[in-house]
Amino acid sequence: MFAYLARRLLYSVPVVLIASFLLFWAVRIAFDPLAKLRGGRDPGALARAAERLGLDQSIPVQYWHWLTRFVTGDWGVSSRTAGPVHGLILPALGTTLQLIVWGVLVAAVIALAVGVYSAVRQYSAGDLAFTGLSYLGVAMPPFWLGLILIQILAAWPQELLGLTDPPLYFVGLHSPDGGGPLDYARHLVLPVLTLTVGLVASWSRFTRATMLDALTSEYVRTARAKGVPKRRIVTRHALRTALGPFVSVTAVDAGLLFGGLVVTEQIFAIQGMGRLFLDSLLAGDVFVLVPWTLVIAVVVIVFNLLADLAYAVLDPRVRLR
Amino acid sequence: MSTRFRLGAIGLAALALLAASCTSGGTGTALKSDARPAAAAPVRQGGSIVIGAEQEPDCTDWIASCATSIWGTWIMDIPTIPRVFEPRKVDGTWGLAATNVMASEPEVAAGPPQKVTYRINPAAVWSDGEPITSEDFAYTALAIRDGKDVLNRTGYSHVTKIDTPDPKTAVFTFDASYANWKGLFSDSSGLLPSHLLKGKDRSALMKDGYTWSGGPWKIESWTKGVSVVLVPNANYWGDKPKLDKVTFQFTADTAAAFQAFKTGQLDALYPTPQLDSIDQIKSGLPNASSIIDPESGNLEAIWFNNAKAPFDSVTFRQAVSHAIDRKAVVTRLYGALGVNEPAQSAHTPLVGRYGGTDFAQYIPDLAKVDSLMRGDGWAKGSDGIWAKAGNRATFSVSTMTGNKRRELTEQILQEQMRAAGFEVKIDNTSATDLFASKLPKGDFQMGLWTLVDTFPQPSLEASFSSSAVPTEDNGYSGLNMSRIDLPGLDKVLDTAASSLDEARRVDVSRQADKLLADSAALLPLDVIPNILLWNNKIGGPLAIDPARGPFWNLAQWGLAS
Repeated sequence: MFAYLARRLLYSVPVVLIASFLLFWAVRIAFDPLAKLRGGRDPGALARAAERLGLDQSIPVQYWHWLTRFVTGDWGVSSRTAGPVHGLILPALGTTLQLIVWGVLVAAVIALAVGVYSAVRQYSAGDLAFTGLSYLGVAMPPFWLGLILIQILAAWPQELLGLTDPPLYFVGLHSPDGGGPLDYARHLVLPVLTLTVGLVASWSRFTRATMLDALTSEYVRTARAKGVPKRRIVTRHALRTALGPFVSVTAVDAGLLFGGLVVTEQIFAIQGMGRLFLDSLLAGDVFVLVPWTLVIAVVVIVFNLLADLAYAVLDPRVRLR
Repeated sequence: MSTRFRLGAIGLAALALLAASCTSGGTGTALKSDARPAAAAPVRQGGSIVIGAEQEPDCTDWIASCATSIWGTWIMDIPTIPRVFEPRKVDGTWGLAATNVMASEPEVAAGPPQKVTYRINPAAVWSDGEPITSEDFAYTALAIRDGKDVLNRTGYSHVTKIDTPDPKTAVFTFDASYANWKGLFSDSSGLLPSHLLKGKDRSALMKDGYTWSGGPWKIESWTKGVSVVLVPNANYWGDKPKLDKVTFQFTADTAAAFQAFKTGQLDALYPTPQLDSIDQIKSGLPNASSIIDPESGNLEAIWFNNAKAPFDSVTFRQAVSHAIDRKAVVTRLYGALGVNEPAQSAHTPLVGRYGGTDFAQYIPDLAKVDSLMRGDGWAKGSDGIWAKAGNRATFSVSTMTGNKRRELTEQILQEQMRAAGFEVKIDNTSATDLFASKLPKGDFQMGLWTLVDTFPQPSLEASFSSSAVPTEDNGYSGLNMSRIDLPGLDKVLDTAASSLDEARRVDVSRQADKLLADSAALLPLDVIPNILLWNNKIGGPLAIDPARGPFWNLAQWGLAS
């Protein structure tokens, strides 16, 4: 397994390098880091800023300088904030990680429960209801869902119960005065729910399908023939088989989610990777966009790797070489 | 001239207002203020409030190129940085008055050479107790004039000599007559503390927030992406704040911000007047009060590319201007807020006394359109569209994608102009592409964006002089995106920029307005109103200052007693 890990990581290096150059090149072509200065009344400011940021050199040279600094831990300076890029990306990554971890945990638990129930009681009223809800969940755009959840879970209860504060908060991840675990939880519920609905919908359908496969497999039939109780067949046999692909999908989706939280973070005023991307994109801040994308690429690769490892751990038939 | 760019406050896109950042003069006659009287509920000492901020500033090094956000100016710059002049409305007109940093009104000697003498209030001190001195004036001016990565050197580049005969007196000498001298240490930049910054890396010390202050508030903390917290400056020599703490919570999503306001998580909002925010206000907000002030520094206009067909023709521009029913547009957009009259000047109301009403000549008049177009050799085809020498009167209108208010405006214009025989295609793009690429390079025909004033002093030359046309030679720098180059206009603008005589300045500024209007170089559409909402638990004299935003008198806000 160690050799497998080392090989996978080694293969990732040229992929990341090529991707980073293409990204650097594309972003530099598409965006003007000096856009904010254009239209100003000091033409000299343009030249000075270009020199300061190294924009007066060719793109390959700029890339090389950027890369050599990047690998030594110097991620550069944002053209938007004039601050170090790592100072923007790392806190944002930490914030997004909180959403991802809680969202994936909650979604996984619910999706497994719903998926197993739907598979075991295939075509029952409950299964059909969950099927309908899952289509709804997949179809609901996060910007709409977030606002609806705010209305239903925060605004209406406050109004109906005459509360001075809403039961759930939806601005940031904590109150301005800090607050303890309860305050954190009250801030976390709505963004996590917004994130979770789509995941539950797709993961529960996936679980249902893999559970159905497992429940109709030879070894389950054999177990049934031996008189193994149904609950034990479901939990010890079918679920364990279904868990491998489920964890694999979960890990891959979790990696992809890092880059896809723009809407949720915007609605709930959370400064994570999604909002950082949007802010940087609007400002044409190439010095953030490129490392941001690279960090996301690394995260996706790592999660893919974790998915493979998890698969191997959960399914004894899989061996990594 | 405004030098602080209003990023995102008017339209979302960050660059949207970059190009729209300055103007001058103005009429003020186009709109009567519908603003309600400022609230003045009595307040008690102490307590804290949370205010929603649509945008987070990129940095707080106020003279650097990263400090372009108007929200940064409103929430941290104005409350902490001392200034020489402040906007003040007297008899319905916005003017400038010396602040309590000054012992007396600065004295200007016309010269030549022009000299300005600043006498500093002996009581004026920084938050660490050190006095504000003439050295602070000298340090700030030189940092702007000679420093690197400075956003705007306007005015400071005219300073040739700085004398500091004593710690409380500074004398500035200029190389030429400079009418906007009141903008120095007042417009885009206030005073910086030389005893803390001189000889040090100012950017490193300031860009992420600073602990010192020369205003009523200090920045207690700035948690990136989350909030800014202000607390009173114990050593402020003027009236001290009533509140113990003010938190600006960054909430970019308008709909969520309104919900947060309604549920009490935010105590005040200063929302961009987009259609959804107007609808929200119209539908009523519980336990809240509001000010809707059309006397802003924001002028939305239809911008023609004067250097590109078909708008390189004065007659064509005039005909199009007569095809548009601006009153109908304004009523549709802002009628719910009580704003129904179009703007009639190239000046915003903030500098209204410098403008006229010359654009009032453009009222919807299809007979006039026919007359102008036929006189110019155009004839209507079978499809009802004007054509001349095989060319149809077809052109595009551009603004930034996603701004619903502007997209609606475009649709209304499209319909109106179709009825007059013009075919309009909508060609929107991202704000970045529009303001960083298309407009500077003149790659548009007709556009829709906003001109923003943040200081009540005229400076039309920044937006309308031929020297402000962005070109390859000047690195596409300059705000005259419309490529306006009218005979006689530069001379008038130069006179306005250098005239120290106020009456003369008003006169020539109005001449410029007339030249622009007569040639239909642009077509002002509407003044975008400012909106302030607050929970009724907040008291004090709440009012919007179109130059300094809604938080200019935050020190007087408090919890209602």
